[in-house]
Amino acid sequence: MTTNFPQAESAAVSPLVAAPGHATAPGVRVKDLTVVYRTPLGELPAVGGVSLTIEPGTITGIVGESGSGKSTLALSLLNAVQPPGRIKGGSVEIDGLGDVVKLGGDELRQARGRHLGYVFQAAQNSLNPLKTVGKQLLDLGRSHGVDDLRALVRDAKDLLERMGLDGARVLDSHQHELSGGMRQRVGIMLALVLNAQLVILDEPTTALDMITQATILRIVREVHKERGLTTLMVTHDIGVAAEVTDRLAVMYGGRVVEHGPTMEVLGAPSHPYTRGLIRAIPRLSGDIAEAQALPGRPPTLGTLPTAGCVFRERCPLRMDICETVDPRPLTHDRRTVACHAVERSHSTAEQEEYA
Amino acid sequence: MTVTTILPGSPGNTGATLRRNFWRGVGRVLRRKPSRIAGVGIVALFGAMALFGPMLYPAHLPRDNNALYAAPSLAHPFGTDFEGTDVLALVVTGSRYVILTGLATAVITVALGTALGLLAGFHRGRWDTVLMRITDMQLTIPGLPLLLVLSTIWKFQGPLEMGLVLGLLGWGGVARAVRSQTLSLRERGFIEAARGLGLSTRHIVGRELLPSMAPYIAMNVLIAVTGAIYAQVGLFFLGVLPFDSNNWGVMLNLAVFGGGALTSTAALPYLLAPLLAILLLTLGIVLIVDAMDEIFNPRLREE
Amino acid sequence: MKPFAARGGLRVNPMTRRLAGHLARGLVMIWVVTTISFVIIRNIPGNPVLGQYETLIERGMSPDAAERATAALYGFLPTGTLWEQYTGYMKALLHLDLGQSLSTPGTEVVTLIGSATKWTVLPVLGGTLLSFVLGVTLGVYAGIKRSGKLGDLLSISGSLLHGVPQYVIGLLVLAIFTTLWPIFPAGGPVDVEFVPGLNAGYLASLVQHATLPVLTYALASYGGWVLAMKSSVATVLGDDFILAAELRGLSRGVLFRYVARNAILPLFTILALSLGMLFGGAIFIERIFNYPGLGLLLVNSIGTRDYALMGGTFLVTTMAIIVANIAADLFYAVIDPRVRTGGAA
Repeated sequence: MTTNFPQAESAAVSPLVAAPGHATAPGVRVKDLTVVYRTPLGELPAVGGVSLTIEPGTITGIVGESGSGKSTLALSLLNAVQPPGRIKGGSVEIDGLGDVVKLGGDELRQARGRHLGYVFQAAQNSLNPLKTVGKQLLDLGRSHGVDDLRALVRDAKDLLERMGLDGARVLDSHQHELSGGMRQRVGIMLALVLNAQLVILDEPTTALDMITQATILRIVREVHKERGLTTLMVTHDIGVAAEVTDRLAVMYGGRVVEHGPTMEVLGAPSHPYTRGLIRAIPRLSGDIAEAQALPGRPPTLGTLPTAGCVFRERCPLRMDICETVDPRPLTHDRRTVACHAVERSHSTAEQEEYA
Repeated sequence: MTVTTILPGSPGNTGATLRRNFWRGVGRVLRRKPSRIAGVGIVALFGAMALFGPMLYPAHLPRDNNALYAAPSLAHPFGTDFEGTDVLALVVTGSRYVILTGLATAVITVALGTALGLLAGFHRGRWDTVLMRITDMQLTIPGLPLLLVLSTIWKFQGPLEMGLVLGLLGWGGVARAVRSQTLSLRERGFIEAARGLGLSTRHIVGRELLPSMAPYIAMNVLIAVTGAIYAQVGLFFLGVLPFDSNNWGVMLNLAVFGGGALTSTAALPYLLAPLLAILLLTLGIVLIVDAMDEIFNPRLREE
Repeated sequence: MKPFAARGGLRVNPMTRRLAGHLARGLVMIWVVTTISFVIIRNIPGNPVLGQYETLIERGMSPDAAERATAALYGFLPTGTLWEQYTGYMKALLHLDLGQSLSTPGTEVVTLIGSATKWTVLPVLGGTLLSFVLGVTLGVYAGIKRSGKLGDLLSISGSLLHGVPQYVIGLLVLAIFTTLWPIFPAGGPVDVEFVPGLNAGYLASLVQHATLPVLTYALASYGGWVLAMKSSVATVLGDDFILAAELRGLSRGVLFRYVARNAILPLFTILALSLGMLFGGAIFIERIFNYPGLGLLLVNSIGTRDYALMGGTFLVTTMAIIVANIAADLFYAVIDPRVRTGGAA
């Protein structure tokens, strides 16, 4: 059962270059976003009042341990939090779309895929096992009212070939005939083929071997640049984040505890959690004993404190105020940190300057 | 109910917590849909009927020659049969045979199915292949035709012998379920971990494996028992077994093929009473299995 | 990494290997079943085979002729060692010789089975397909709306119909439509006054008589389809690729097709199996509605102690299931691309 896809006559315009007149990379402004999950213990927040601005044209990374709310936050950008979860409050403003939290029905459906591309974790099977990639591509095109399906197939083929695959062959394949790395490239192709300008990658390299991982990361970087995208990448791997991203947001217990340019956040971490996280990475060169694990356990929905700082149980800089008051995120020098201890040291530093 | 929680700490202790959690889960599932409590009630009612029912009536049920195929009345809530015997009395006294067969089947199915399933899942390799081939075969050969053919050389005397045969023909489902459960626990490193803690095979099987899949076995046994009850009533209904005692299947047979209950509407209660009993018992069991399904199949639980 | 190498013809076609394995297993099953059948007939109390032989001799037949006559009747020799009898029985079976019927003297068992088969296949096939279409359609709904009132109702009614034995449904249908509200004939395949053939009267009578058996069969199997489809849909809805498709903004129609096609796949196997079961599964229905199919043939052969007929019917019934098992698996391989190309993800 093979499908013959129309051959590209001549690829006059490379699909990797954003079509002229197309909207440029959008910015994203998340404000006070709260996402809760319904449990037997009541509604528990997985994302608690997060505000985050993603600059147009950047690759922003979101790092955190599992259960930190990073995937939930990523799904919120598509207003696609799965039950029993729901967005309880806040807004997600995306240039060209408005507040996606308020979108619904067909408007929301059209936005997904056309404006917002989502790439799944490689270990997950994001393709219909019964249909060839090509047929699923046509389903995608028809769902979004694409008139010229021939051109769509041509674009898809070019994209796949751009990522080092045999386009025609991949389109004729079923999921089980593709390797993990190939599937992930197909996932990226499907996210981009309708010219989405905001691409969200959820753990795109988890479960891939090191070589394939490096290839995928290179592709993400190149495609981002060539197509002029805004890219958001969720990962638990700080190494991956360091390699690809311009800006980095660190999440813990459903909050963004630190956000800033990647090199600065990693080079000089402010929040005690970020510091602990970086100290926990064993290095190839160097003593393994130098890597120090964070004390305690990451919180789950049920064990998250309801008042005060979510990190205080494991924090070396814990103060009395942390028990009762949730630290506000404060921006200082392009970097945002939510920590009472850091706040205090900044204010003392400023006082000293004026002294 | 997570099985992985057993691993750390002392096994006996966490096993007990597990069981407590399980009962709490049962309570919650029952409370979520009150109809399920009705299911437990119905099955209990039939149990009581089988246990005490026959004591309420004399050994030989009285006949009333003036009231053959009598319509339902206060004295005879379901009318009378072709001999003028009270139909309700027939259903109540007949329940013991039916339930007893079910219980005998349950014992055989649990014993054989669990033992063979554990053996196959625990040892894997050649044992597994051979046992599963036998199970496949047992599941492939159609039960009812085989029972019919067997009835020509075996007279199935009494409910216990009947239960024995049905049990011998019906352990395949339980064996397969137990095996796959054992394998899945094995896959999660459960058995290796227990071995690593220096626990003996007997301890692993008796204290760890069996308790964690007991409810699962119970559910499959319930299904097997239901099947046995139906098969048994069905065999009597078809009339391939000698009528040596009062039984719902015998009632059905006499009503349809013997007495002509279908020729007049007045005699219908005689046919409908045992049918109603089977329907009610099925309803009770369906409600219980539905509750169990929700306990063991979290995916069906939905948001 | 050469993921497409598997597409070449280098390896043994996985389908061929699959087929060979299934055939081998099927043959073993058939051997087991024929042996069971032999053992049962051989061990029937009173040894009817030997009895027949002796009766014939008493009637003045020569031992040789009596032996041949008995062998023709039962498919194996009345005398000789167990082994000789067994090999004789097996040899006769290889020639499709199932012996002669006692209750209908002079008729080959094969002939009786052949004519009964058409009465079994017609109503049960109709009933199965009807319930499959209905059950799967409602099962999709029950699977998607698992917590709704209607979904609950569908599940409970499905479980109930699935749980209740066939004969209970059959007897209720019989009581309702022939006694309480007599609008359908109570039994038999067709009214005798019509000439068989393509005439309106005969066909109408045929349909009239088949209605209740078909209805019973449909009701009895409908519940199973609802439940199977519901749980299959619930499983597929939890699969990653459905969420992925949703996040790509696929239309509701496409999403529905993705769910339905993936969910119905395992049900086709069950359908093929239940079509095999139809040979033995209709015993109660045929007995209740006095419908002259294979099931009634088996019950009657036991009632009349017609052992050759009983053994033959049992064999055919069981064989149909074994063949259906193989067919179901091969069919699945054809419709599922993962099995078809032999690739495991």
